[in-house]
Amino acid sequence: MTGLLDNLLNGVALGSVYALIALGFVTIFKASGVLSFAHGSLLLLGGYLVAVLHDDLGFAGALALAVVVTALVAGALDRLVLQRVGTDSHAAHVQTIVTIGIDILLVTDLARRIGGDLLTLGDPWGDSVTDLGPVTVADSRIAAIVVSAVAIAGAFALFRFTPWGLSLRAAAEDAEAAALMGVRLTRVRAIAWCLAGGLAALAAVFLVAFPAPGLERTTGQIALKAFPAAILGGMASPVGALVGSMLIGLTEALVAGYQSDLHVLGEGFGDVAPYAVMVLVLLVRPTGLFAARGAARV
Amino acid sequence: MNVTHPRPRTTRTAVAAALAAVLLAGTGCSSKADGGSTGDGADGVKSGPGVTDKAIKLGALTDLTGPYATLGKSIVQAQQMWADETNAAGGICGRKVEIVVKDHGYDVQKAVTAYADISPDVVALPQVIGSPVVAALLDDIQRDKVLTFPQAWAASLLGKDAVQVLGTTYDLDMIAAVDFLTRTKKVAEGDTIGHVYFEGDYGANALEGSQWAARKAGLKVVGQKIKATDTDLSAQVSALRKAGVKAVLISAGPAQTASLAGVAASRGLRVPVVSSAPGYAPQLMKTPAAAALEAMVHVVSAAPAVSSDLPGVKKMVASYGKKYPGSPVDSGVLSGYNAAQLMGADLKKACEDGSLAREDVVKAHRSQKNADTGLGTPQDFTDVAAPASRSTYVLKPDRKAVGGVVNVEEAHQAPGVDEYLASRG
Repeated sequence: MTGLLDNLLNGVALGSVYALIALGFVTIFKASGVLSFAHGSLLLLGGYLVAVLHDDLGFAGALALAVVVTALVAGALDRLVLQRVGTDSHAAHVQTIVTIGIDILLVTDLARRIGGDLLTLGDPWGDSVTDLGPVTVADSRIAAIVVSAVAIAGAFALFRFTPWGLSLRAAAEDAEAAALMGVRLTRVRAIAWCLAGGLAALAAVFLVAFPAPGLERTTGQIALKAFPAAILGGMASPVGALVGSMLIGLTEALVAGYQSDLHVLGEGFGDVAPYAVMVLVLLVRPTGLFAARGAARV
Repeated sequence: MNVTHPRPRTTRTAVAAALAAVLLAGTGCSSKADGGSTGDGADGVKSGPGVTDKAIKLGALTDLTGPYATLGKSIVQAQQMWADETNAAGGICGRKVEIVVKDHGYDVQKAVTAYADISPDVVALPQVIGSPVVAALLDDIQRDKVLTFPQAWAASLLGKDAVQVLGTTYDLDMIAAVDFLTRTKKVAEGDTIGHVYFEGDYGANALEGSQWAARKAGLKVVGQKIKATDTDLSAQVSALRKAGVKAVLISAGPAQTASLAGVAASRGLRVPVVSSAPGYAPQLMKTPAAAALEAMVHVVSAAPAVSSDLPGVKKMVASYGKKYPGSPVDSGVLSGYNAAQLMGADLKKACEDGSLAREDVVKAHRSQKNADTGLGTPQDFTDVAAPASRSTYVLKPDRKAVGGVVNVEEAHQAPGVDEYLASRG
């Protein structure tokens, strides 16, 4: 029983961090129709900034600056590189490929800077833990759940209650009509990229905080695990991304936790489990769990 | 218009083709000239590729930009230090030693190209980083008879004349780890132990050793296979705790060892952890898991701690600190320097025997029954199929020590190692 609770808590914590990343994927996709493969490198950039800045600025200052800088870099990438390709739906495919190139460039440079080091981010939770009844959980995990919940609620409020959110939803519904109604598509999507970048930087902190040992050159690859979460949620649905992330986080934690009981499926099944879940969900609901009616298949 | 256009293009193509042909022929010629020249030097010592009257060229295929960049840098600097010291003392066989370093960034394709690039011009390779790299080059190395010391320790690399795994293999380390656990009464017959291991040669070979030793000791092994990108081992720790393990072995990278110890400690799973040598790096002492690592982890290694009292090691640490101030003195420095010294001994022996041709350097190497550099245990290179050493040290992380680690047990051979090697044939 303790084992199950342990695994569930692990899963929720992982899921809430994936949700930050998946929400970024979804926001970008909604605003620009681009599947951003550069998200992993933005996440690595955010984490790297916190790692190098926390000595001088303290953790909170470093985190704030990292979130802002990563957001601006993401926005600038969209504005200065991607938008040059065009803003119609056809250009989105080209832009998706361009993000792969951007990712390679960013990751290569960051990996060169990080080298073989294991960077700590100086977060205030350290390796402290809290006993919650029968289970022990790392404070960083509790913080991950709380902060993710707040950030996600904030993002949802942005979608729902701000003019930008309205423009975003209008643009996602029908870009051309929105543009005719006076929505400035270029600005809407640049802000969407900024939001996604900021969320990625935040996710980086929790991905590398205890129980993980620190930021490595490969940390960005973890962002790819949020891909199936975004896709099985329906790619254009923030709620779907949230549910998908929880599903993926829980699947991963449970499969790894019960690895020895799942011998039939072969060892290391935890790595492929998220994708297996994604394929299964898409078999039943080809447009994802929460796709808007009539949305394109993903 | 249409008629005139093709003409200049064809001319241009022809010129380009001719140029390419000339270039190709040129490189073909030059590599032949470099690689094929054998004969006696002025001093009567037979030479071969990489050897002239004045210089002996060695090669290093290393990783300075990939996942093992820290290790690569340590080894490159340590071996360069050895070359400088050797040259200051008059060189080897009256010739200066030169090391040609090529970075492959842990990319097998790049490593294959780099090998093709430098192999015609070097006599031996005292450094090749990366199990997949060594595996890809194994046949070429064997064909070219380039004596090679890989920085990889899987038993699958044994049995090739020109390739020498230095020290023990991963399986022997884990047999020693199980022996350490039972001997110090950390586990008893009937207990269950966990083994967290990387997929691939490294983990598979380590698991072979732990399973064999556990069977002999009446223990049960619960395996947890992970990948290099898994750096949060929470789920693995949950599973191990559920299995009721009394100790955990880990054959992975430093990041995984840190996560394992940190998570286990925080979850109240305070059991001894024994790591393979590549699973520890001094950088871990700066992570939040440092306290847990010091409290729970031991490392089994064929090499002593860099903080050990061996005079050879002390001298090396002092010179390294002077030559590269600010560079961490880690196990890579020790293993790189040790490899270079052993290579030096082989070259000296080959020189005494009258030939520095590649095959004769391999022959000289295979004649060393008790190669001792004063940097650890002596090694026996005469049996191609057996590990060069069967003795291991037990080390322990320590924040204050040089290299972040101290000796706990001096080198000795774990019981059962001979039997294991005999059973494996």
